Amino acid sequence: MKKVMQIEKMTKTYHLGKVKVEALRGISFEINEGEFVSIMGPSGSGKSTLMHIIGCLDYATGGKYFLADQDVNNLNDNQLALFRNKKIGFVFQQFNLLPRATNLRNVELPMVYAGIPAKERKKKAIKALQDVGLGDRVNHRPNEISGGQKQRVAIARALVNHPSIILADEPTGNLDSKTGLDIMNIIKKLHEEGNTIILVTHEAEIARYAKRVIHLKDGLIDKDEVAV
Amino acid sequence: MILQGLKIALESLWTNKMRTFLSMLGIVIGVGAVIAIVSVGTGSTQQVTSRIADLGSNMITISPRIIRGQLGRVSGGGSQEKFTLELTDYMESFSPSVKTVVPVKQINGKLISDSINMDATVIGTRVDYAKANNYEIDRGAFISEDDDRERRQVITLGSQLAADLFNNENPIGKTIKINYNGRIFSFTVIGVMKEKGGSMAGNLDERAYIPLSVAMDRMTTHNYVDSFIAQAYSSERATSAVKEIEHFMIKYLEDEDMEQFRVVSQDEILGTVSSVTNTMTLMLGGIAAISLLVGGIGIMNIMLVSVTERTREIGTRKALGAKNKNILLQFLMESLSLSSLGGIVGIGFGWVAAYFLSQYGNWPLVISSISIIIAFGFALFIGIFFGLYPAMKAAQMNPVDALRYE
Repeated sequence: MKKVMQIEKMTKTYHLGKVKVEALRGISFEINEGEFVSIMGPSGSGKSTLMHIIGCLDYATGGKYFLADQDVNNLNDNQLALFRNKKIGFVFQQFNLLPRATNLRNVELPMVYAGIPAKERKKKAIKALQDVGLGDRVNHRPNEISGGQKQRVAIARALVNHPSIILADEPTGNLDSKTGLDIMNIIKKLHEEGNTIILVTHEAEIARYAKRVIHLKDGLIDKDEVAV
Repeated sequence: MILQGLKIALESLWTNKMRTFLSMLGIVIGVGAVIAIVSVGTGSTQQVTSRIADLGSNMITISPRIIRGQLGRVSGGGSQEKFTLELTDYMESFSPSVKTVVPVKQINGKLISDSINMDATVIGTRVDYAKANNYEIDRGAFISEDDDRERRQVITLGSQLAADLFNNENPIGKTIKINYNGRIFSFTVIGVMKEKGGSMAGNLDERAYIPLSVAMDRMTTHNYVDSFIAQAYSSERATSAVKEIEHFMIKYLEDEDMEQFRVVSQDEILGTVSSVTNTMTLMLGGIAAISLLVGGIGIMNIMLVSVTERTREIGTRKALGAKNKNILLQFLMESLSLSSLGGIVGIGFGWVAAYFLSQYGNWPLVISSISIIIAFGFALFIGIFFGLYPAMKAAQMNPVDALRYE
């Protein structure tokens, strides 16, 4: 199996005034192409920090992070932005859609920054929205649709640049359980279609959708188990 | 990428119409004020200039300087006596740029018609006086060469004087008596001049004109005049005409320092007037420019609020792959579109304001392209200058913090 990403002895230290906070204290694991991995842990376990580093939003303090055979810690801000654009598809708990832009425009946005021509952008964005079942909501705005639909727009946006990893951070955190189930089924389907998915959550039921669960505790890996 | 930034910026401005309008207002008023004020300045200058030019832009007046007595004594040998009639021909032949020289003898007396008598200035002069002053006859005739040669006691009236002395009656053919130094002379009115208004020598409409020979030989026994009016061949040659006359007078009066006479051209007066109005325009334009600056600070304020308000949006855009320069350009384009849009509206606004002011002040509407270019350029500069800091603030946001921002 081909490796998508690899983390070696990663540490991350914050300085909050004079207090040193060690959010990650030496974490190593790797993820292969097509895997569906959950990162689980209580709040303060370092999972958000880990997610930000995996998502190329932040740099690690120590250790190595390879994504697509590139040492991410050696990339500058611009290259990092390029990596986020091409390699990562984000799904946030808060959806993070641009409130005044249409769904189409929201899905187009990663392609805007990738420099894809307008015509192709529109075609792909409509296709992506159809794939998540929102073909009839293309020109609606986020405040005109439900929470579950918003998250589906966000998933369409995450998929549209064909990223190496889809990084979902508590994707069901702001949804009722029934809608959360719908979203998890979409994510499961994406995995079955061959996408690599990393799911960050503190809910065991949600984590159970993944084939592999990495438990974090106090900035270290507590358990790395493969579900049966 | 710039085009893409511009598009994103316009989308954002369009979705916040009210805020866009309010933050534009400062620039609109600033640019409008600059354009209106500069237009009023140039328009009114043109009006005054053309009025002065109407008086004869190639006209030059030569008059004696009043020599002040020292320690209370009247100094002897005033130069007025030297302003003799033969100077007319000397000056004409000595100064190649001068077309004609007209002598002017001024008589202050009491004019008496059938019903009214009033103090007025009577000008003894020659036929060329009217031509040199661009002064036209309304009814009848101006005093002629024959009148001068024959020493006819005829008089042509300024329009105001004619109205004062004869009300609405036709004065031509009537008799006017002039009381000068206790002696009475009677004149026949032969004409009335058109309205002219003020000139270098005062209000021509309130004067009367008689043949020079009558004024000099009959009414006074002076062999000198009060001043000369010289007319250059063209306004371009007025400056050299002044030089030539000055040179001649210096030689003639043996007056190196030009203490005994002065030569004034319309050009000089024009220069003074336009330098005064230019200073005014510059000052008011400066004040308007300050309002532009204040408008710019308003834009910066709005942009800073907008950046803070949209922190999450910035975080999201960065997470989706926006580079720092994409964000910088987006916000810079926003402030630039604000200021340029404000500039365009301001140009229209200033144009309309200048139009109404020109109607009110009765001067020509002049919108100089330079004032438009400068005001608009300044607005753009302000958009960039005051937009840069908020845009940089947005671009340098840490994506993690920006995404977490509530």
